[in-house]
Amino acid sequence: MKIAIPLITIAAAVLSAALHPALATDEPYLQKRAAMVRDQIEREGVSDPRVLAAMRDVPRHLFVSPSFRAKAYEPYPLPIGEGQTISQPYIVGFMTQILRLKETDRVLEVGTGSGYQAAVAAKLAAEVYSVEILESLAVRSRQTLSDLGFRNVIVRQGDGYYGWEEKAPFDAIIVTCAGGHVPPPLLRQLGNGGRMIMPVGGPFMTQNLVFIEKDTGGSITHRNVLPVAFVRLLGH
Amino acid sequence: MSIAAPRDRGDLVFAEAKAERVVPAVFFLSAATLANEIVLIRLLSFRFWPHFVPLIVSQAMLGFGGAGVALQIFRRRVERSPGRLFAWMVLLAALAFDLAFRASQLVSFDPFLLLWDPLAWPRFGGFFFLLAVPFFLSGGAMAIPFAFLRRRPGPVYAASFAGSAAGALVALPFLMLAPTGWLLRLPLALGAVACAFVLSDKGEGSRKGRAAALCAVLFLLVIPPADLKLSPYKDLAAVRNLPGAREIASRFGISGDYRAVFAPGVHSAPGLSVRFAGEIPMQATLFADGEQRGTVPKDGGRMPPAYLGYFPAVLPYRLFEHPRVLQLGLRGTEGVLTAAANFASSVTIVEPAQELVRLVREDLSEFSGGWPGSLPVEIREEGARNFLARDRRIFDVIEAADISSATFSSLGVHATGETFLLTREGIRAALVRLGEGGLLAFSGWLKAPPRENVKILRTIRAELSAARLAPAADRIAAIHGWGTFSVVVRRTPFQPAEIDRVRRFCSDYGYSMVWPAEGAGAGGGAEERALREAVSDAMTGAPGERGTELFDLSPVTDDSPYFHRFLRLRTLPEFKRLLGSQWIPFVEWGIVFLVLSLGVSLVLAAMLLLLPAAFARDGTGEAATISVAGYFSALGLAYMLVELTFLKAGILVLGDTIRAAGLAIGGFSFFSGIGSAVSGRWESERAMKRVFAGIAVCVVAGFVILSAAASPLLARGWAMRTAAFVATLAPAAFLMGIPFPAAISRLAAVGGSAIPFAWAVNGFFSVAASAS
Repeated sequence: MKIAIPLITIAAAVLSAALHPALATDEPYLQKRAAMVRDQIEREGVSDPRVLAAMRDVPRHLFVSPSFRAKAYEPYPLPIGEGQTISQPYIVGFMTQILRLKETDRVLEVGTGSGYQAAVAAKLAAEVYSVEILESLAVRSRQTLSDLGFRNVIVRQGDGYYGWEEKAPFDAIIVTCAGGHVPPPLLRQLGNGGRMIMPVGGPFMTQNLVFIEKDTGGSITHRNVLPVAFVRLLGH
Repeated sequence: MSIAAPRDRGDLVFAEAKAERVVPAVFFLSAATLANEIVLIRLLSFRFWPHFVPLIVSQAMLGFGGAGVALQIFRRRVERSPGRLFAWMVLLAALAFDLAFRASQLVSFDPFLLLWDPLAWPRFGGFFFLLAVPFFLSGGAMAIPFAFLRRRPGPVYAASFAGSAAGALVALPFLMLAPTGWLLRLPLALGAVACAFVLSDKGEGSRKGRAAALCAVLFLLVIPPADLKLSPYKDLAAVRNLPGAREIASRFGISGDYRAVFAPGVHSAPGLSVRFAGEIPMQATLFADGEQRGTVPKDGGRMPPAYLGYFPAVLPYRLFEHPRVLQLGLRGTEGVLTAAANFASSVTIVEPAQELVRLVREDLSEFSGGWPGSLPVEIREEGARNFLARDRRIFDVIEAADISSATFSSLGVHATGETFLLTREGIRAALVRLGEGGLLAFSGWLKAPPRENVKILRTIRAELSAARLAPAADRIAAIHGWGTFSVVVRRTPFQPAEIDRVRRFCSDYGYSMVWPAEGAGAGGGAEERALREAVSDAMTGAPGERGTELFDLSPVTDDSPYFHRFLRLRTLPEFKRLLGSQWIPFVEWGIVFLVLSLGVSLVLAAMLLLLPAAFARDGTGEAATISVAGYFSALGLAYMLVELTFLKAGILVLGDTIRAAGLAIGGFSFFSGIGSAVSGRWESERAMKRVFAGIAVCVVAGFVILSAAASPLLARGWAMRTAAFVATLAPAAFLMGIPFPAAISRLAAVGGSAIPFAWAVNGFFSVAASAS
């Protein structure tokens, strides 16, 4: 009986671990994830070791529907429902690197989507506040992040255009859904010295990225930034 | 080889005593089929994107071709009871017009995944196959009368052509009468009429079955149509999905399906300067066939919103005070409000889509607050090139806004669409309408690598140089914000003080001036340098095409009016490499779909056409000879190519793609139908030689006359332009209706066993022609 109790406890722990979605399904994907970081991200110019480590840690396949898990580490965006997509790994790495996130940073994400970008940012920053306009995606991403143990990410359903006034100012803002303009409320909520990145284009169609900085005096500068593929196309 | 006599009594009755019913059945079925093709183009443009147009043509012709192959292979069995099969194919085709579309909506098909997910292809195949079913059934039904029922091919083929003409001409007004979701009622109703002609037959059991099928058709006519399932990536689907979204107005018509949706989560201000710190008011979003077309700020007519002064496209208003403005295209109310906010003295808008004009001016007037009271606004409902040719007024600013969107033109969706406004001739027509110091302005999204902005600059430069307004570089200014660009051009050189005003405008609003060049110290990263180099090269480099460029950025002319066609075949390997390794910087979806349609069509056609040969041992395929294939493939190719050549010229002259397509298809079908009806007199070899010579002469003469008359015709009224267009195509169309039935008659005279095969070949190669 004395032996039986620890055995049952161990068995329960093993069973519990096996049934946990993250642990249960991560093992077959470890190699894929390492290959993704090596071949799609590091090789293509993302060099920040913290970003690379974060992307090696976050199980991307758990942020997509089961039918797309086998393709989660492929170099393209995937549908997550509601007409939204999870960005391809390279874009996530590129956008995260350019924000130069620090461990003390407070980050705002507009457009939680699958929650994957928030998870990567949460590995690098102190707090991530994420706003998703679609209720179903907000619920699903909140659940996924909670299951994976991300305690420093808060997801709220709402119109991200207005940011998260109560939590401002932010050290960095990631707008993951493409927009036609930079929302003035977000510029106001970006703290002095803050950085912001926003893609231009629709789902599957990212055309450009605009990077905005607010200096310590509150002045705003912006520039278009091109991923490596574009720069290569331009012959630079 | 001879055709076996129809075996059962019903077929005898059908083929001989009741033969008069075959021709009207074919007429109505042809009308239904053509109407189905036209409404499917609208439905799939709405559900997906316009690049599905070549797909529909492929489905139609593959269905026809496949039917011919099936009839050839199963000829022995069909010969036993052709009348019964004809009747059932008519009945099933009518049912399929509705049911096939309903079934196709059940296929979860995501066009974006085709590029990298092999599993998406079977779904695409299923989608393609389902929509081809009605064409297969109707194509088979139309082939049976002259292949098996001993009908003379001339009248049957004439009925088919006449039906097609009627279908095209009925479909156009029906687009104005029926909401988009109800459009399939037209082919279904026409199919039901065709069914009525195949009901009376001997054999009680058979008659009951047919009556049941007709009842099913009538049942489909009275139940509500299927809800249209949009791709989730369509703008309309995305906005509808937002909390609190509601449709506040809609219109439909020949030019498209227009809807206005209000959603609190929409804040549209494409390219807004980061210097703007105010609020964007509530807006309604306008959609044309499910794609965003413009916005209507709430109560903007009462007080133009401040944000409208913070776009690079405002540049011409900074260079010309109180201008008389001409806007080519209606973008909700934003265009007018921008002009009002920037102190224009009047605005004239040219917009060919009447439904859009009424939606904005009437249906949304309460939401928008109407036009600003202080600004005279006039809307002209016609094509931009027609207006520029016809109206003699002079303007100070002519705006051609949004020549590229953030998404779709960059994806090449419009690569196959004619853009006669963005050609050298279009620019010429606009420049002559400018007054002293007047400005022609273009704006759109920045792309990486640069595309639309460079192409328009090269086209402008080519036109200015040809007009001896050199150096062109002195007459052009170009700026960009973080996401959009604006180009202004005029006939006289800009003065240094004016360039200073451009520079100041850029400084005040956070934009960059890329032309005139700011010199080596202009700053910026690799992206900015690349843009400046591209613009500088377009302005001062050697004119013409660059062999080393990834994209086709050569000047656009009316001869090849495809401004958004950037793909170069030799650079495809580079794009393919990028697709596999990084993201999608550029995909010419329109061209990809054309190539896919052509490739799939040719492969399927080749495979299917070889099938009869596989049955040669039992004699079924022996009629499928190379000479039959060669003759009828040439006919199919030639017919479609000639029709499409006239269609392209018709789009310029008529100023509207849908009307031009309806008239081209209807006109060709009508006059070819007359040719088919009289083809019996032209079956001799000598007569046919004259017919072919006549076709060559009429095609060349018709096209030359239409091209030469295009400029003067543009200034004429709709009736005159329509009459001229139809008159130029009529002789060629009449003669082109003769060879097919004449050749079928000759095949019938030697036994007729190759007739279904000839039908198949003709159908397949029409596909290849339409896709190429």
